[in-house]
Amino acid sequence: MPHQCVRCGKFYDDGAEEILKGCPCGGRLFFYINKKKLEESKNIVTDLTPQEKNEIEKDVFDLIGIEKGVEKPVVLDLESIRIIKPGKYELDIVNLFRKRPLIYKLEEGKYLIDLPESFKKEEK
Amino acid sequence: MVNIFEKFIKSFFKNLFRRKKHIKLGLYGPPNAGKTTLANRICEDWLGESMGKVTNMPHETREIQIKEQVNIKSGNKEISFNLVDTPGIATKIDYEDFMKFGMNATKAKKRAKEATKGVIDSIRWLDNMDTVVVVLDATKDPYSQVNITIIGNLEARKIPVLIVANKVDLKKSKIKKVQSAFPQYHVVGISAKYGNNIDEFYQGLFKVVG
Repeated sequence: MPHQCVRCGKFYDDGAEEILKGCPCGGRLFFYINKKKLEESKNIVTDLTPQEKNEIEKDVFDLIGIEKGVEKPVVLDLESIRIIKPGKYELDIVNLFRKRPLIYKLEEGKYLIDLPESFKKEEK
Repeated sequence: MVNIFEKFIKSFFKNLFRRKKHIKLGLYGPPNAGKTTLANRICEDWLGESMGKVTNMPHETREIQIKEQVNIKSGNKEISFNLVDTPGIATKIDYEDFMKFGMNATKAKKRAKEATKGVIDSIRWLDNMDTVVVVLDATKDPYSQVNITIIGNLEARKIPVLIVANKVDLKKSKIKKVQSAFPQYHVVGISAKYGNNIDEFYQGLFKVVG
């Protein structure tokens, strides 16, 4: 399943070194893309201006509670939350309710943020 | 014998107290349906103080708000719960909608981000609820994805539900439409703002909480 760097739009396969270390362009945020949505997703990143990409990156880090300046790459699951432009969000609540939580720490430096998964019984 | 009796009484009251203390009553629903207005109404009626800020702009509540130890009484029945007011659940959050209320772009984008996080938090908290009051705007079409998803998920989790069709003071409101959308639930038409039918709401709450 491909991952797309939000900053430069380049695609990487699962497990690619760039996802673990960050894209050579300096990007640390990746969209995790379902094959079915691949075409649609390609357009999202190419339509964004560099400033918009920065804003989205910052917003995502804020949303998932990761502190600024973090070096760790983050993968955002497009299935359940889409950021079309800064300040414009689309949420697939059916998916959000259904899926299980979480931020997976896969290896040093790599986190897979599955927002729908961020849901479960954390507060108990 | 006396000891056993004493122990029984102690544990009975201890359990009763513990059970009551941990009841979490959640207010869920789409944005701007009147969740916080209802929370304020409940708190003003039983605690003499309000709970949260209310405005016409959607997504005013963007963080979970909790009011602990709310006791409500009816005759010789009493329930005690922690009232949890949640951010409205939406499928689309667009900062430009907030700009229509005169907010500048920077503030509107910040609000959109907070509202998105609020939706996620609301869903995350659902599993902690013992009983949920789903607050719907009776002037709007009840057959929305948000309403159906919330109620369907509550059903799947076997969480008791009371549906409130709010804003019955408005002419456009249609309680019957809400009732026919969710026929298997107890639907109470109220105006949280003006207090219309609020006693029926409390009665409904007693029935649901048991």
